[in-house]
Amino acid sequence: MNKTQDIIKAIHSLVPPDRNLKIMNVCGSHEHTISFSGMRSLMPENLELIPGPGCPVCVCPESDIIHAIQLSKKEEVVLVTYGDMVRVPSKKGSIRTDGINFRIITSPSEAIRIAESEPDRTIVFFSIGFETTTAPTAAILETGIPDNLFILSSHRLTPTIMEVLVKDREIGIDGFVCPGHVSAIVGSNAWNVFSEKYNIPTVVAGFEADNLLLGIMEILLQVKEGEFRTTNVYSGVVRPEGNEQARKLLDKYFKVSDVNWRGIGHIPASGLELREAFSDRDARKLFKLEEIREEKIPGCICGNVVLGKAYPADCRLFKKSCSPKSPQGPCMVSGEGSCNIWYKTYK
Amino acid sequence: MCVGVPMQITEINYPSGVAEAKGVKREIGLQLMPEDTLQIGDHVIVHVGFAIEKIDRELADEIWDTLDEVLQMMDEEEKGA
Repeated sequence: MNKTQDIIKAIHSLVPPDRNLKIMNVCGSHEHTISFSGMRSLMPENLELIPGPGCPVCVCPESDIIHAIQLSKKEEVVLVTYGDMVRVPSKKGSIRTDGINFRIITSPSEAIRIAESEPDRTIVFFSIGFETTTAPTAAILETGIPDNLFILSSHRLTPTIMEVLVKDREIGIDGFVCPGHVSAIVGSNAWNVFSEKYNIPTVVAGFEADNLLLGIMEILLQVKEGEFRTTNVYSGVVRPEGNEQARKLLDKYFKVSDVNWRGIGHIPASGLELREAFSDRDARKLFKLEEIREEKIPGCICGNVVLGKAYPADCRLFKKSCSPKSPQGPCMVSGEGSCNIWYKTYK
Repeated sequence: MCVGVPMQITEINYPSGVAEAKGVKREIGLQLMPEDTLQIGDHVIVHVGFAIEKIDRELADEIWDTLDEVLQMMDEEEKGA
C-alpha cells in the first residue's frame, strides 16, 4: 500500500460514524487540488470538504470594481491591476469590457515601471487580495514609488473572515485547512485563535494532495481525541511566527479598516487601507471615491459559495448561463474561484 | 493570482534580484526577506514577483511536481472545453 492509500485509510478509520463533519479550506489552490485530484470522492460519506473564501477577486466589492472602471475612463489615468481582476463582472460591466485605459500587471513592480515610463499620466494600481499580495504592495512602498503612482487598496484579512465564518452556526465548521502561503506571511500562530478559543481543529497545509490529506487526517485525529490545536504540516514553508519582515512592512504602510466583502457584506476590521502618513498615495483620497451600493446579480449565489453555505453546483446559473468564458458572478472568473474550478471538474 | 511558485535565486542586487524556474528568468523583489538571509542558489516561494519565504531544494521540486500536474490537467481541460 502506498502513502496516499495509507492516509485515506486512516481518514476513514478516524471519521466518527455517528456525525457529519465539515472541513473548510480557505485557499483557491487547496480547492484546486481537492477538485482536480478527485479527493472528495475518496472521502467518507459523512465528511464534507467545503470551499471557503479563498479567492481574492471573488470577494472584492463591486463598488471598487466600478471605481476602477470609472478611473480608467479618465483621460489622464492608467489603471493597472492583476489579470483576474479585469474580468470580474459588476453592474457597470468589467474593467476589460467597459474600462478604457487599463493594463494588466503580474507584479506591483510593473506598476512602478509603467509609472516611470509615463510620467505625465496618473497611474492607479488597483491592489487587491489577501496577505500574500498585500505584502508585495507594502514592499514597493518601502522602496519608494514614483509621484504619479497611487494605490487603490482593496486588501482583505484572512483570519478575520474565518472568524466570521466560525460564528455562523448555519455553516457549522468542524475543521479548518488554513491557506499555505498566507500562513507563510502571517505565521501558523495566527490561526491559534480557532483551536484555542473556538475548539476547532486547525491545520496549515501545502498544495500537494498527500500533504492536504495529511492535514485532513490531523483534523480528524483532533476530533477523535477531543483535543484541539493548530498543527502545521507545511513546515518547510510556514514558520510559527511567519515572515516577520513582511508583517512589519504590512503594519508600517497599512491599517485595519471596516470594509465590504462582495456577497457577504460589511465586516468590521477585515480590510486594509493605507495609513494616514501615506494617504498622499491613496487613490481613494485623491479621487474622493465614495462607497457605491452593491447590487445582487440575479440568480447568482457566489456569496453563499464563498461562505461555504452552498456548492457551485447548487447555483441555477452554473454551467448554464455562467461559464469561465461568460462569467455571471465573481466566483466563475478566476482559476482560484470555486465555481471556475468546479466548472472544470464537476461531473 | 495568489499562486506561489518556487524559483531559484541567480542574482542578488538587494532589494531586487533575479530568479529562475523552468529555464525562465525573472526579476523579483527581495524586500520581504532580510538581506543577510539570502544567497545565490537559494530557493524561494515567489508571489506576484516577490520572494516571501525560503524553502529547500527538495520541497521546491515537490511543489513543481504538483504545479506541473495541475498545469497539465488545466491544459487538457482547456483543450476539451
